[in-house]
Amino acid sequence: MWDTIIINPMTNVLLWIYDALGHGPHMFGLAIILLTILIRVITWPLNAAQVKGAQAMQELQNDKEWQDIQKKYAKDKEKLAQEQMRVYKEKGINPFASCLPTLIQFPVIIGLYQSVTRALSATPFDMLKLARTMYSFQNAQNIIPLNSKFLWMDLGRPESIQVLGFALPTLAIIVALTTYIQSKLTMPTTSNPNDQSAQMSGMMSIYMPLLLGWFALNFASGIAVYFITSNLLGIVQYAATGRANWSSLLPGGSGKKSSVKK
Amino acid sequence: MNTKRLILISMLALLGSLVLSACSGGRTVSNNWHGLAADAERAYLSNGSFVYAIDVKTGNQIWQYPAAADSKLLFYAAPVLTADGQLLIGSAGTNHPFISLDPATGKEKWAESFTKSKAAWLASPLVFDNTSYAPNTDGFLYILDMNGKESAAPIELGGALWSAPTTDGKSLYVTSLDHHVHIIDPANSAANKSIDLGGAAPSSPVIADGGAYVGSFASTVEFIASDGGHKVVAKAENWIWGSPVLDGATLYYADLKGNIVSFDVASGKQNWNAAQKDDAVVASLLVAGDQIYVATESGNFIALDREGKIVWEKTVGGSLYTAPVVSGDSILVAPYQAEFALAAYDKDGKQAWTFTPAK
Repeated sequence: MWDTIIINPMTNVLLWIYDALGHGPHMFGLAIILLTILIRVITWPLNAAQVKGAQAMQELQNDKEWQDIQKKYAKDKEKLAQEQMRVYKEKGINPFASCLPTLIQFPVIIGLYQSVTRALSATPFDMLKLARTMYSFQNAQNIIPLNSKFLWMDLGRPESIQVLGFALPTLAIIVALTTYIQSKLTMPTTSNPNDQSAQMSGMMSIYMPLLLGWFALNFASGIAVYFITSNLLGIVQYAATGRANWSSLLPGGSGKKSSVKK
Repeated sequence: MNTKRLILISMLALLGSLVLSACSGGRTVSNNWHGLAADAERAYLSNGSFVYAIDVKTGNQIWQYPAAADSKLLFYAAPVLTADGQLLIGSAGTNHPFISLDPATGKEKWAESFTKSKAAWLASPLVFDNTSYAPNTDGFLYILDMNGKESAAPIELGGALWSAPTTDGKSLYVTSLDHHVHIIDPANSAANKSIDLGGAAPSSPVIADGGAYVGSFASTVEFIASDGGHKVVAKAENWIWGSPVLDGATLYYADLKGNIVSFDVASGKQNWNAAQKDDAVVASLLVAGDQIYVATESGNFIALDREGKIVWEKTVGGSLYTAPVVSGDSILVAPYQAEFALAAYDKDGKQAWTFTPAK
């Protein structure tokens, strides 16, 4: 089921792009980048909804009424939850709007990861599986095996560059950095030091770069190419809204405080 | 469910899913079918974490290598027995030493393993003229003496090398996934000719008079002359994965569509096709005595007579990707993802024993 709906179509699109590009050296990396862009375009409405939801939640943190009910019902969690729901309803905010699109994108991320690793089949068994995955229109005999070389990397292996005798994991660092930038830019700013949501976002902006950096460090570099492309596109998309909080990238920079327009 | 909890669950889902799906991540090999070889006394099975020696009369394990599983070592290539009493095999794990074992005890024979390859070993080496020609998935053919030391610089052929070279006594024929078969002169350790087959070649060529036959993902069998001349002699319906088998003037081959073909090389005509509808044949065929043995992906083990008629058919279970091997009066098959890892049959199709590795 998972294979039929997610992996097979994604792998075939990836291979089709690779073939259309001439299936030579560096083309598989380019195919991953183009597929990432394609996925970003298709999921644009989801991302836009996520951005919008995050912004609404961000603005709410600085709303006077919201802050007042936080203080007033600090010791009555049940009443606080009721009041929060009332404010959400009044202001037309869906508290899950920023999370659900992310959840929906997980299958896409996982599917792409599995497609990349399947396409770069490392064993006869993997290749047999790939052969079974390919649709009949694919130019299978010509494009198999895929040329996994991209720039200085083998997309089927974790990446590193030798610097003064040390293996420097360049891609892992870039993945961590771009993930950090993306999460910082979209992080809600608040004047309320006790805001749990902001604290959570702050943790995420540290935790996620480390997590994705670790993946990039240990797994096929093809997935790191996906993470970097996806992060850069996310940054561009958020910047295009004009709400990117660039000052939050600086040490100690909390950015300007936004407020809800009444 | 509050937002905080939702985010945490989301992160755990991402982490878990990626970790679970990461089995084939990297170019580290994590999953493949078994390698199998045998002499008159023992079968040698490379079965992932271990290489096993099994008594072919009883099916009992004689030894295993290594003694305890090492997460960095994996074995999938068919081990190769040498005339001077070595069993050669390379690891396909994150560590990829090429090692020599004592076939009787399973103890390492070389003081040091050969560790210069850049990637996993999926192919068996060819031992010829006291030299081991070992193809690696890094695209290099490594040339070692019988003590595991490099006796010549490796030859870069390009593309992953998944199958053992073959030799006609003068030249070596090496297939590559880069769609080429390379003809190598062992005297000067260089590829003299590289012939484009139009598709990846995952299995070894079979030597014939004046050259070799090779099957490929171009769905063809080509004759490669020793001077580099080549021509397509037979076309298949689908990819040819296993090596063709030449027996006198008859060439046997099979494809992923389940066609099993007997081909007369003298006349260039097909004798018969004992097609097993949509039951892919990945493993090389085995011709022994008056029978042709076929191992199919759906786990059927079939004996055909020389006219292509089914003599017997057994359901082994799992998937049969590994080529069957003869040992004395027994035919050995190594099913993948089955209840057992090895089984012995006599020529009448009676199962003598099965071997299941201890957990």
